[in-house]
Amino acid sequence: MNPPALAPTDALLDLRNLSKRYGTFTALDGVTLSVEGGQVFGLLGPNGAGKTTLLRILATLLRPTGGTAAVAGLDVTRQPDAVRQHIGVVNGGMGLPARLTGREILHSFAGFYGLSREQAEQRIAELDAALDLGRTLDTRAGEYSTGMRQKVTIARAVIQDPAVLILDEAASGLDIFARRALLDWVAAARRPGRLTLYSTHVMSEVEEVCDRVAVLHGGRLLAEGTQLELLARTGAQTLEQAFFRLVEQDGAAHAS
Amino acid sequence: MRPEFVWRVAARDLLSTLRDTRTLLGTVLIPLILIPALMLGMPLLLGQFIGGQAQEKQKVGVIGTLPPALQAELERGSSSQGMTLSGVELVPLEVDTPEAARQAVQAEEVDAVIRVTSPLPQQEGDAPAAVQVFAKLNSLAAQTGALGKVEAAIENYNQALAARRLEAAGLSEDDLSPVTLDPQDAATAQEASSGQLAFLIPLLMLNFILSGAMATALDSTAGEKERGTLESLLVSPVRRAEVVAGKLLATALSALVAALFSVLGFLGTGLIAGALLLRGGMQAELSQAFGGQLTLGGGSFSGLLLSAVGAAVLISALLIALSIYARSYKEAQTYVTPLSLLIVVPALFLQFNDGFSAAFYAVPLFGSMLSVMDAVTGTLKWPQLWLSLGANLLAALLLGALALRSFSREEVIFRN
Repeated sequence: MNPPALAPTDALLDLRNLSKRYGTFTALDGVTLSVEGGQVFGLLGPNGAGKTTLLRILATLLRPTGGTAAVAGLDVTRQPDAVRQHIGVVNGGMGLPARLTGREILHSFAGFYGLSREQAEQRIAELDAALDLGRTLDTRAGEYSTGMRQKVTIARAVIQDPAVLILDEAASGLDIFARRALLDWVAAARRPGRLTLYSTHVMSEVEEVCDRVAVLHGGRLLAEGTQLELLARTGAQTLEQAFFRLVEQDGAAHAS
Repeated sequence: MRPEFVWRVAARDLLSTLRDTRTLLGTVLIPLILIPALMLGMPLLLGQFIGGQAQEKQKVGVIGTLPPALQAELERGSSSQGMTLSGVELVPLEVDTPEAARQAVQAEEVDAVIRVTSPLPQQEGDAPAAVQVFAKLNSLAAQTGALGKVEAAIENYNQALAARRLEAAGLSEDDLSPVTLDPQDAATAQEASSGQLAFLIPLLMLNFILSGAMATALDSTAGEKERGTLESLLVSPVRRAEVVAGKLLATALSALVAALFSVLGFLGTGLIAGALLLRGGMQAELSQAFGGQLTLGGGSFSGLLLSAVGAAVLISALLIALSIYARSYKEAQTYVTPLSLLIVVPALFLQFNDGFSAAFYAVPLFGSMLSVMDAVTGTLKWPQLWLSLGANLLAALLLGALALRSFSREEVIFRN
């Protein structure tokens, strides 16, 4: 489902001085960022960097306390219902209704996106081929293994083929096989007109699947670019080194 | 608000509830089993116990000398309300003090002791005298057994002596009661058949509505938060108001199913009670008193159902508004468990049903109880019923608005 009234080169994500405060605590501090579709965009940062807060604002679950955020050309604060038509969200803490089968879960969400029963069946067949859903479709979610649960969670998030796919620590808690399958799928799901936001604190995942990366720390955006651009900017050999140098530079800048 | 989205949310929650065997049993089977057990089980057991005591020949110790006629009265069996009452076995005791009499009862050597301290009158003109009876006065076994039979025998003996004395004076027993009372029941057939304890019906029905609603409400709010499925629903295009309305619909439907099965339970109880009444006896009388003979006409049934709808919607809204605050299903249970007091305490006042003005029907929930009571007793008042329904729906609307506000608040949704 492509967002309306967007040129192919328009940014699918547009943040202007975005902030979120909880009392005196600042979770996001004036983040400005513009990202086009057709890529997997990494959000890299340690726990507490503000990644989840940012993604929850994009998913319309939290309201920013300052600045603006637009997803697929739609303002998250003023047009939350329209934004939700164009996003799919997977995070590590998301579960599935234990007493429903995979097919029932997918059908119910397809209905939420306005797909007819026939369209939903066709889409489920496509997702079955892409994700190898197999017997998960007719098994109740309460009986799933971790890998099965992850497949259906992803299928649920992309049932309407969203323009913006938000993956927040989606690989956390997965075993090695399920994690491998997720990373392969994220790489294969890259297509023109889709932006996949991949949030993680694991460097190797970013190195493997992300085209561009934004480094967040303490709620601030420290840098953004391709991995090579970040290495060149910091003079580092690895992304991990680059990350630590960016954090040091940020600390020094704030100390002075 | 888009009705098809509301229904999709409700259908998802209902399907989940339907597949929960424990909830299903609690909603469908328990009312069908528990209501007859509560309404009829106690009278049946009580009736059986009382009947057993009546037929059993208890041992009664005797200290002193009983007049032969009184002795014969005590030992003779009698027949009352189709039930055979056995006499008692008189056992002479070789003791004389009150302490010894008490000890004999407490040691269960005898069921009661009659202690004669002065000669008892045997014929008209003899001086009156007191006789002591030792028994466990608060014991149902004593009241319906030895003590009851001794009291009845002495009463009969007194009547016989009094009758002879009146006869000697040229009078009859009727001269002692020139005016006799003949009470006539002015209640409708439905009021009469609903029994003295009909106020229990709204109490039980609303409790089943509460328990039927509880599982769905808690599972679809706090349970969804705990499992992480609420977040996936909230990032879909379904609007918050549609989420709340869908969950309210699913919860209210679950509650109504419980209410419907509780009505079936009452009607089934009525059938069994009807069969018992045909058999007669103590058990029939008791089941009648317990209001087990519920019969409903079309109007009463509609009134009962409308009252149940009002109560179900209000209770559902209350449960959802409360349980969305909880971090987990268990925490939600601690929030909502005290709600049963909202039903039990007002239900106690239903015993004074005749004293409630129309204004009481405007009290949310209590108005429904009054209407249920009216429907059961065949005294349904439609204006009052609409008033109670309106009050419940208005209260449910306010609670629904509170729930909607909670579903839109970050600190509530992410309070896990």
